[in-house]
Formats: sequence, structure tokens, C-alpha cells
Amino acid sequence: MITRNQFPIFKKHPKLVYFDSAATSQKPQSVIDAINEFYTSTNAPVHRGVYASAEGTTSAYEGVRDQVKEFINAKHREEIIFTSGTTLSINTVVNGFAQTLSSDDRVLLTDMEHHAMIVPWQATAQWMKFAIDFAPLTSNGRLDLSAFKNLLAKKPKFVGVTYASNVLGTVNPIKEIVALAHQAGAVVLVDAAQAIAHMPVDVQELDCDFLVFSGHKMYGPNGVGVLYGKKELLEKLPPFIYGGHMIESVSREKTTYAPIPAKFEAGTPPVAEVIGLGAAISFIKGLGWDEIEKHEQALVEHALEMFRGVSDVTLLGPLDSKDRAPIFSFTVAGVHPHDGASLLDRSGIAVRAGHHCTQVLHESLSLGASMRASLAIYNTKEEIDVLGTALQGLKKKLYG
Amino acid sequence: MDERDIYREEILEQYRHPHNFGALEKPDASAFAANPICGDEITLELQVKDGSVADVAFKGTGCALSVASASLFTEWMRGQKIAALKKVTPEFVEQLFKAPVGPARLHCVHLPLGALRKALDEI
Repeated sequence: MITRNQFPIFKKHPKLVYFDSAATSQKPQSVIDAINEFYTSTNAPVHRGVYASAEGTTSAYEGVRDQVKEFINAKHREEIIFTSGTTLSINTVVNGFAQTLSSDDRVLLTDMEHHAMIVPWQATAQWMKFAIDFAPLTSNGRLDLSAFKNLLAKKPKFVGVTYASNVLGTVNPIKEIVALAHQAGAVVLVDAAQAIAHMPVDVQELDCDFLVFSGHKMYGPNGVGVLYGKKELLEKLPPFIYGGHMIESVSREKTTYAPIPAKFEAGTPPVAEVIGLGAAISFIKGLGWDEIEKHEQALVEHALEMFRGVSDVTLLGPLDSKDRAPIFSFTVAGVHPHDGASLLDRSGIAVRAGHHCTQVLHESLSLGASMRASLAIYNTKEEIDVLGTALQGLKKKLYG
Repeated sequence: MDERDIYREEILEQYRHPHNFGALEKPDASAFAANPICGDEITLELQVKDGSVADVAFKGTGCALSVASASLFTEWMRGQKIAALKKVTPEFVEQLFKAPVGPARLHCVHLPLGALRKALDEI
């Protein structure tokens, strides 16, 4: 695909089969250039100085807020909070919301959540004493909606759900899930970390209350992410990180907080990274969702066919290409996932091995670990075939 | 694969046919260690005579590197003084592979050392 040329890492390593984009995506030249250009020509503090370059920095930083607003179709620009990534975004919501919960309350998650969703809730539950339920999955790796509805009958105050599973590739019916959760009276947080690079996300259409994602999984830089929240909810939510910029007024006796978004952006923000995120959004929009979805859908279908053709491989997650992100976790009978990944590396294929920060999911599948190939727009069908061939030879390589 | 590759034939042979695999009849010390990252498990048993390792065995499941590590390491242990075992460092275990171990795989190679340290507490 033509976009491969726009990623300089593939010029340096032309034969690299990079199948770890769910962990972090590669960066196009335009994103690298935007960061370089910022440090070369503009660099100055944001929201502070009155001199020209400081004003330039502030308008570039705030310009990306408008870009993100438009990208996810938020209603108001101040509903876009810049964070360090999905993890801080989730922690901010959980820490604030958990303070309103008590021992009579429940929170509903799913078995396919990332540790970044599970652990903050468990940690806060230790001091606020609320209960956490987990909605199970069906045998084909999708959310068990009838079990989910039954758990909603317990009236959870909050539902945390991933848009797309970082292991199974399953894309959840978020609009339906949000509607069901709202009917039950719950506030909904959507983890869009694995969806944001693969499909258009429209927060007003979904009607979710909070939605979070990271820049580095959508062709942007590390160290920047987004917390979207409905205005009235963000206004009620207490701040999580305290410091400069997030205040309205500070005296010896007390502090009052700034309005959103500043209330959630304490300290010097990652300005260059935010500008890189803006470039990543421009890159995605330049390609267009039609092109991206067409290309990735073809990759999904080709990969499913490849996996079907390799003996001893068990694919986790849906075997059909509908509502499926290009993320494929699998095991190879007789091959330990860490050996498999190390041996695939010797064929120039970068895959991940481990539990991929989803121990609850792996336990529900009675697995300790798996290998994961996660694809993005720069990948090709030919690379999938390279993986297929390497998988065929894996057992022989290990056992002689 | 070149001779500095940790997945070279010589190491894979240790995985396919590990030395000292099994259990001892009357171990003086026995310890279990597991790796939460991948679920690998090892049980290490030692028989001690006159302050030295008279016999050693291990059982468990793991990747090629953790099994090969246990095989190479237990092979070295036999006949060693207990005092010498107490001084073993993670780097020493890595050196048994005669090839660089990547940072992501150190936990595999170090697993048998974790079991040894627990076993030494029993002696």
C-alpha cells in the first residue's frame, strides 16, 4: 500500500514485518516532521508568555484541541482533555467517579478489558468498597450481551467497556451497549485505544459519557492521549492531578480550580506530542476512513484465511471478519508463545508474546499467554503470507 | 543460526532433552518458582552430602529458554559447594548460554535461579 512509503522506519528496515501496532504504531514522516518543526521553529511555553513564539505555541496546542473535537465529533472543545495516554485518562475518570461510590454500589466491566481499565477500579474499590462485576464472553470471543444485560439488572453506577479488544480484535457494539447501560442508569466509559486508528469514532452518535485513547496507537507520538467527557460530567468530576495551570486562584488557605479543560491539565503539558497528535489526525484524515477501512478489512479477511490454513494454530477471538479489528492473537500447539515470538523475530516478524495486559481474559480462555499479530494501514497481504510460512516452520525449528 | 544465537541447536537440544529432568527420591530441599508473565513453572530438588550437591533434579513446564536454563544450570550445580550456590548471580546463569539474552527473555533464563534461592533457604 502506498502509505508504507510515508513511514521512514520501513525505508530503514525494508523487510521488517511489523505486526505489533496494537502495542504502538509506527509514525509517518509528517508526524515526525511536525514535532521536529515545532522544536526547530516555535518551541516556547504554552499558556504563559505574551511574546510571539509563546502565543504561537498556545495557538498550535489549542488548535489540536479543535482538531480532536472535530475528529471524534465532540459537541464542545473543552470536552477534550489532553493526558499522557489512555492509562492516565482512565485513572482520571475512575479516581473522580469512585469518590461518589459506596459499599452498596457496583461497577460493571467485561472479561476483555485491559489492565488499564481493571486495575484502577480494583484499587479504588479497596477504599470505596464498591463491587465489580465482569461480563463474560461468548465462545466465539464476543461480549455475551444477554449476560451483560443480566448484570445491568444489578444496577451498576458505572460501566467500563473497551471499543475493540486488544487481544481478540472483537469490536463491541458500543452504541447498543451505551444505550443499555444508560437505560440501567449507569455512566459509561469507552476505552477506544484499539479502535481509534481503525474506524471513525463519533462520541455524539455513540452517546458515551467518557471516551479515552492514546496518540501513539494512531500513528502519533508517545506521551499524549485524550480524555473526552460530556461537559456536565467533566465539570462535576474532581481533578486528579494537582499543580500549576489547573487552578483559578490559590491562597494560603485554599485553592479553587480552573474550568475544564484546564482543571484536568495540571503542569506543563506535552506540547510537541500534542502537535504530533494533530499531525497524526491530519494523516488519518488525508487517507480517509473509506480507504483505511477497505484496506484493513482486506487484511482481516486475508489473515483469517491464512490462520485457517496453518495446522496447529488456534486463533483467539472471532473467526468471522465482521466487526473485527486487525488484531490476531493465537497459540501454536507445542510452541511456547515466547519461543514462538523469538523465533518469528528471526524471520524478521515482530509479534508480541505474553498476556498483553489481559490476564482476566487469558484466564477465561485457560491460557497463560499467547502470541499476537496486530496490523495497521502500512501492512500488506504479502506480509501476512510471510507470517503464515514462518508459522508453518515454527515447530520444525523448535523440535528439529 | 549462528553460534551466538540463543536459539542455536545446542540450546534447543537442552530443551528437547533436558538434563536432570524429573524428581529425586529423598530430596533435602525442594522449591517451586513460577513466572507470572507467562505461567512457566519449575520445581527444583537438591540432595546434599558433606556440604555439596550430591544430586539435583527439576520438573515443570516452560519455554525453551527456561527449560534449557534449568538443564544447563542443574548440570553445573552437581558437585558444587552449597556456599558456592549461595553466591550465584543472575549474570552467571545468563553466561551458561554463551550467547546474549535479550532483556525481554531474562525472566525466562532467571527462573531456575529463583527456585534455587528458595531451596537454599531450606538447607
